Amino acid sequence: MRQEALKVSPSSQPSMTKKQSKYDEYKRRRKILLKSQAYIVGLISLLALWSIWGTGFNLLSLVFGTYEILVFIFTDMFPPDLSVIGSLISPALDTLYMSYVGMVISVLVSLILGVLAANNLSPHWIVARVSRSVTAFLRSVPAVVWAIILVSGIGLGPLTGTIAIGLSGIGILGKAYAEVLESIDENQLEGVRATGANWFQVIGQAVWPQFKAGFVSWSLYKLDMNIREAAILGLVGAGGLGYYLQGSINLFQYKEAATAILMIFALILLVEYMTAKIRERII
Amino acid sequence: MIKNKETFRQQKKVQNSIFTFLAFAFFVFSMLQLNIVPERIVRSIDRLGYIFSNMFPPVTNEPLNLFGAAIESIQVAILGTILGVLISLFLAVLAAKNLTFSPYLSYFIKAFAGFVRAVPALIWALLFIVAVGLGPTPGILALAINSIGMLVKVYGEALEEIDMGIVEALESAGATKLQVILQGVFPSVLTAFTAWSLFRLDVNIRYSAILGVVGAGGIGWELMKAAQMSRYDEALMVTIVIFGMVMSAEVISEFMKKRTNAATAQALN
Amino acid sequence: MMETILEIKHLNKTYPDGTEALKDISLSVKKGEFIVIIGPSGAGKSTFLRSINRLSEPSGGEILFHGEDIVKANRAKLRKIRRNIGMIFQGFNLVKRLPTVRNVLHGKLGYMSTWKGALGLFGQEEVEEALDILERVGLEKQAFKRADELSGGQQQRVAIARAINQSPSMILADEPIASLDPNASRVVMDYLQKACRDEGFTTIVNLHQVDFAKEYADRIVGIKNGEVYFDGPVHELTEDVIKAIYATDKEAMPV
Repeated sequence: MRQEALKVSPSSQPSMTKKQSKYDEYKRRRKILLKSQAYIVGLISLLALWSIWGTGFNLLSLVFGTYEILVFIFTDMFPPDLSVIGSLISPALDTLYMSYVGMVISVLVSLILGVLAANNLSPHWIVARVSRSVTAFLRSVPAVVWAIILVSGIGLGPLTGTIAIGLSGIGILGKAYAEVLESIDENQLEGVRATGANWFQVIGQAVWPQFKAGFVSWSLYKLDMNIREAAILGLVGAGGLGYYLQGSINLFQYKEAATAILMIFALILLVEYMTAKIRERII
Repeated sequence: MIKNKETFRQQKKVQNSIFTFLAFAFFVFSMLQLNIVPERIVRSIDRLGYIFSNMFPPVTNEPLNLFGAAIESIQVAILGTILGVLISLFLAVLAAKNLTFSPYLSYFIKAFAGFVRAVPALIWALLFIVAVGLGPTPGILALAINSIGMLVKVYGEALEEIDMGIVEALESAGATKLQVILQGVFPSVLTAFTAWSLFRLDVNIRYSAILGVVGAGGIGWELMKAAQMSRYDEALMVTIVIFGMVMSAEVISEFMKKRTNAATAQALN
Repeated sequence: MMETILEIKHLNKTYPDGTEALKDISLSVKKGEFIVIIGPSGAGKSTFLRSINRLSEPSGGEILFHGEDIVKANRAKLRKIRRNIGMIFQGFNLVKRLPTVRNVLHGKLGYMSTWKGALGLFGQEEVEEALDILERVGLEKQAFKRADELSGGQQQRVAIARAINQSPSMILADEPIASLDPNASRVVMDYLQKACRDEGFTTIVNLHQVDFAKEYADRIVGIKNGEVYFDGPVHELTEDVIKAIYATDKEAMPV
């Protein structure tokens, strides 16, 4: 019935060769796509096999591990021991302070590096390059790595965590600030420069108003991130809630550990809520 | 009118000053609470200088070990990402309000993803170590579950933004649910999904580099060893290798993206 | 030719908020008819059309299509009925990132096994047919372009091709030209009419342009406040009737 319908319609009697060539064209294009898909699927499969071979990962452990972690969470950690909340307040505040001070440090340093790295404000392109490389390097090394090195050098405690957070923050904020600065409107700079303003006046009158929104939202975003990082830095001895968590797990006090995790969870949500409020007010 | 504007501006200025002052006060307060006083800062700068001067030149005594550990970290990240992506693809369809079978299931999956996401990967690794023992397996599982937390959210958002007209059109052609999702929905969100998956691979490689810190395999353990022995030159070498891992992942994902785009452009012109 | 293909009896649709979108609509459609539904926006035209293939679930009534009640059909049955009814939308509803020809091939999904269709494993015969149909709507040169590279009018022709590819016995078109300019509208309507004449499809089209409706329809149905207000051949649609359909009826309009 379908075929009949085709024959009735006037333009549907192409010669076999034309039909064939159109189908070949479809085939050819389909092949290109399939080849590229096969290439990617193949590459991913190879990577997966190579990784399974290298790590000795057993796909069964996915099922097994899920089961084990559920058992662990629901029998060993549950219910959380809420009586330790009192002794958790001080580490929780430490985590908060570390995140905040770390953020301020990275904001201050990143402001300088950002201006130096932005193509339109940098005094010289070599300075911009160097500044970019420094931030790129700091960005690619996780805060925990800095914390590990600093713990052995400066010692245990929140100061170490603060510096580690500050360092890795410079990597992110330095790049972000530079990008925001590069996107500002040159005409306004020219306008203010034309009035004979000096460098500081140009920054204050022309750059800052355009930079403010990006500056505030990136800095607050970093504060959100810092809370997460600060919470885990303690695992390597850099103070705060993580340190308490590590301690209670080492002592097999899993119900206390559960409380610490809930506390971290609550702290993250609280700070995210506050930064969202501040962002709303300022922007 | 003008006066109003003027007073409004004045008010805003005062408000801003108060904000800035509070922010600064909280900064000083935090410093004091953390017992970060000038004397300690000077001392730590001293120590930092010492660490820094001992970092150069970076060395490694066991290049093979270090290389092997780096490879293991990358493998942990790859498996964690693949597992996370596969499971998230499935869960995200069930979590997306417009595609799910039941709204309750959608809420449940979203709440689960939210919780899993808020607990940092390193803590998951710590928990999995207690549950399944040391080695790369807890690392892989920790990264997978942490990835699920993020990917279900972002995949779900992409799915909820699709044009429902496509779904209606295919359903009215008599297509089954699976056909609608694979033929209509996934092609529409493929670009977003790919970008998020590659982003997650990048994040996972950074995490995998530090999982060793809690005993979940990979290069993190090498760093712990070097740092505990105060061998800063070795620690710097490990850090450079980590830097290389992160960079190479970026280069590879960039290459794959370009290749796919070129093929697509060739096939659709 | 006079066989009844679609018989709608006492169709009702009430939204959860209590709005009565369709009130007791009955309509009988003969094979091969080209029906245009007109009426003010919000009158229930779109709900009516979408109720026929249950994109919008009716609250009550019967819809007999080839003698089978669509309202009572289960999922599997509904799919079988739906593939026999082509649907064309105001927003074209193509998968924009896929090539045109693939969009046309989607018309065949209802005839394929779930997995074969889901993976897009279309055979040579199916591809050739899709390419043929594209040629018939004048888009053979666009066959391998991404759907979103086409103009609005061209995209709607792809949607028509997709509907034709379902080899349906009926086509529903919900405001097919509402987002097109007049020239493109004419081209699209011409192709739709031609396709329906050539293939013998029964066609129901929602339009808000009365002049287009008069030009293309065999029969016109006027819907107002969820009820059939007028039903008859084009020549019976007088100016007075049109005015009455589009007049804002103060009593019936909910405030």
